[in-house]
Amino acid sequence: MKKSKLALFILLFIFSFSLTFAGGKPEAEKQAPKLVRLTFYYPVGVAGPLARVINTYVEEFNNTNKGIEVVPVYSGDYDPTMQKVQTAVMGGNPPDIFIVEISELPTLLAMNAIEPLSKYATKEYLADFFPAFLENSYDEKGEIWGIPFQRSTPVFYWNKEHFKEAGLDPNKPPKTWQELKEYAKKLNQPGRFGVTISGGWNDWLFEAFCRQNGIELISYLKRKININDAKAIEALEFWVDLTHKEKVAPPHSTWASTPPDFVAGKTSMLYHSTGILSFLKNSAKFEFGVGFMPANVSYGAEVGGGNLHIGKGIPEANKQAAWKFIEFLTTPQMAARWSRDSGYVAVRMSSYDLPEMKEHTTKHPEYLVAKEQLKYAHGKMMTPVFQKVREILKTALDEATAGKIEPKAALDRAQKQTEQLLADWLKK
Amino acid sequence: MKFKLTNIKNYFKRNLHRLAIHLLLTSVGILTVVPYFWSLSTSLKRREDVFTTPPRWFPIPPTIENYLEVFKLAPFGIYLVNTIIVVLGILLLQIFMATTAAYAFSRLNFKGKNFLFILFLIQMMLPVHAIIVPNYLMIKNLGVLNTRIAMMLPFFATGYGTFLLRQAFKQVPRDFEDAALIDGCSSPQIIINVLMPMAKATYVAFSLISIVTHWNDFFWPLVVTDTPQVRTLTVGLAMFVQQESGADWTLLMAATIFVTAPLLILFIVYQRKFIESFMSAGLKG
Amino acid sequence: MATKRQRFLRILIPYFYLSPSIIFLILFTYWPVINSVYLSLFRHSVLNPIPIFTWLGNYESILKEEIFPTVLKNTLIYAIGTIPFTMFLAFSLAVLINEKIGWLRNIYRVSMFYPTMIPMAAAGMLAVWLFNPGIGLVNYYLGKLGLKGPQWLYSMEWALPAIMITAIWKNFGYFMILFLAGLQNINKELYESSELEGAGFFQKLRFITIPLLGPTTVFVIIVGVITSFQVFDLVHIMTQGGPADQTNVIVYFIYQYAFRFWDIGKASALTVLFLIGLLTFIIMLVRNIERKVHYEV
Repeated sequence: MKKSKLALFILLFIFSFSLTFAGGKPEAEKQAPKLVRLTFYYPVGVAGPLARVINTYVEEFNNTNKGIEVVPVYSGDYDPTMQKVQTAVMGGNPPDIFIVEISELPTLLAMNAIEPLSKYATKEYLADFFPAFLENSYDEKGEIWGIPFQRSTPVFYWNKEHFKEAGLDPNKPPKTWQELKEYAKKLNQPGRFGVTISGGWNDWLFEAFCRQNGIELISYLKRKININDAKAIEALEFWVDLTHKEKVAPPHSTWASTPPDFVAGKTSMLYHSTGILSFLKNSAKFEFGVGFMPANVSYGAEVGGGNLHIGKGIPEANKQAAWKFIEFLTTPQMAARWSRDSGYVAVRMSSYDLPEMKEHTTKHPEYLVAKEQLKYAHGKMMTPVFQKVREILKTALDEATAGKIEPKAALDRAQKQTEQLLADWLKK
Repeated sequence: MKFKLTNIKNYFKRNLHRLAIHLLLTSVGILTVVPYFWSLSTSLKRREDVFTTPPRWFPIPPTIENYLEVFKLAPFGIYLVNTIIVVLGILLLQIFMATTAAYAFSRLNFKGKNFLFILFLIQMMLPVHAIIVPNYLMIKNLGVLNTRIAMMLPFFATGYGTFLLRQAFKQVPRDFEDAALIDGCSSPQIIINVLMPMAKATYVAFSLISIVTHWNDFFWPLVVTDTPQVRTLTVGLAMFVQQESGADWTLLMAATIFVTAPLLILFIVYQRKFIESFMSAGLKG
Repeated sequence: MATKRQRFLRILIPYFYLSPSIIFLILFTYWPVINSVYLSLFRHSVLNPIPIFTWLGNYESILKEEIFPTVLKNTLIYAIGTIPFTMFLAFSLAVLINEKIGWLRNIYRVSMFYPTMIPMAAAGMLAVWLFNPGIGLVNYYLGKLGLKGPQWLYSMEWALPAIMITAIWKNFGYFMILFLAGLQNINKELYESSELEGAGFFQKLRFITIPLLGPTTVFVIIVGVITSFQVFDLVHIMTQGGPADQTNVIVYFIYQYAFRFWDIGKASALTVLFLIGLLTFIIMLVRNIERKVHYEV
């Protein structure tokens, strides 16, 4: 009898160990023969039904492509998704398809994490994409690595009721930086900011302001860093004017907090992605406008969002299947549908000629703003180790808008740090 | 006359004293409970009711749509199962390892006993947070990234558990063991039949502490897991935080309440046991 | 009468019992420390996928990092700002609860201890919601008191304090329970005899309670140091180190280098520096306590 208790103990020990091993790895073993299973990592905001939308698309694809099963894996926002991709790549197990933020391309190339796509993407196929969206897909040698999917630009939102209260024409948003400042001063009140330039991705927004001032912050193809160019400094000085001198804009915020702030009436004007348009429409109890970001030298914007990539080193059958899925997601119809469902800009130009799209944009012209702004848009800045460069830039912006350091000093320092960080890359 | 006056004075003094204590404790208690209650209230509101000023404590009308939405958006059921598996797996192996080690330290003599014991003690000061990078690389080299076992491995060896059990075993009178030895029991049988039952209270205390601690693990699971199939509750909650579109407070709070509910419910039912466990463990330290 | 073999086995048996624990201790506690030192001597990152030996190169570049002093400063402020205050709060409340106050004692204990049951990450979520400058409870009630609430997590000055307040809220109940345990261990007769000699509340505190709680206090300090590592959870959920690295603490900094910038070399060097700091702190603590104990006795 005593021996059996010992045996029981050992059994329990083995049992707990095996329980933990069982189902430990994602169920790759259960696949039917000849079924190609693709893991698809995607980042989508949780607010709103976007994750469900993706799942619907995946289901449709799986049902119409019986030999392929795409397994969607929601991985959070861009940062955690990139991390997970990197972890998977470093673990020798890259995901088959994934979407990451477009500026990660150089890092992905340095990690040798993705497949080149020129043998899948034909000239005709690519010609239908908005050129600005393709600028973050190519490397310096002209090889293409990513296909645009969820793409956006920053846009300008304003609270029409606040405008009316302040005696401004609710249908005339500020067109220039000067007007922006004036309006913000009129709209600013205790408990309410005139304008908010969202933090979190304020480096992205800063790039837009620089474009509006006629300067490209970082050129990937030319390997040049222009962070402390005089025009960039001017742009930052304008920000500091708003946040620190005139105090009509909050010096800091987070990307996720400013849309609810706008809905709660805590800010009258807002710089944010076109991607939150659906959220605003569903939550705001007041009329609001969507328009181009005010110009200085000219209108200017850069693109944002995520591209589709195929993981390097996956089996040949998987590569073919992955490309099929990418094609499926980027037909003009799907691109149009995705745009209607999410508020992102449809990546194919011909999407906007489709009847259901024309109907939609006539009823909801706000969804056209970002697309129209593409005329003035360029690719997003990118470099290797871009996450670190972002941190450097954001620190400079945050400290300047808080009044801790002069714009010129902040950007000089950021320039120096970036040049040091990328010394090897810049030399070549 | 004087007698009565001092009596009255003392009476007031004592009760004023008591009243002051109660007031202080009540205000601290309220301050501690309010954040959770407010979040619970938020989770039961409709999205548009969140932005009202002044803040409404009781949602009218209350709704559970946020909880339903949360379940649709992320597989919190799977997260819950994973958390349970990980926590129980850790506990079972910790009990095994701490018991064997504590037996050695409390009943056997061998070279290097003190040195080895110090090694166990030092481990308490080096939680996985401090050495997360090399531990991550170890898991990667073992090829078990993104598995439930990976979330458990660093915790199996427990200096704390070994320490507690060693104390407990030391307090078991030798008579029982001597009797068992005479009966011809082997060491493992003694451990299982004599030492473990007599140290039952310590096992209970340690188990509760381990369960609470590892249910709430975050940093380590975050770093070693990527996919929902193995994800645990805390990491699942964190996924709700970073999004591209606006923060959906009602959803976030519903998710938070769901993640915290299991342990809290257990706690409210078994409060005495939980509190006693943490207290007794502290004493032995 | 034992054979050589039996004697040999008998010597081995204790190590046999210890072996599972030792294996894991080595794998996941001690080897990682050594490995960190080794890895810190190589440049190994996304830009340098093949490790290049660089002796103290990583350490040099860390010390030259502009935000490194800030990270150190934040870590120290966090530790000094939370641990002593939490202990003081916990101790005071434990003393109060230990007084004769009737059945309400249970309610107090439960209401103050429950935060221990929820994950740090969840506490962070609650805090983000409560500290929202526009619609959060904290600023609302500050407004009612006539104060203008700061921008909390978005401000350079108030982000770290918000995190510290959250940590204190989360931990004080746990510390309080530990103190309560120590308090209940003190012989009641000591108090009774002192009362006969006319000792008041504060005198009892000073001459009986505090000295006898020495060992418990030591334990609480150790627990405090260990739990302060969990600040990672709060930073990750609430601020991700920002704004402008004002809430970046060493544990988060290591995480950034390892898992966002993928610089294993530098992350390891930071780990080594962190461990040295921790070790120094512990040694200082132990020396200090030994001195105090000898002084008291």
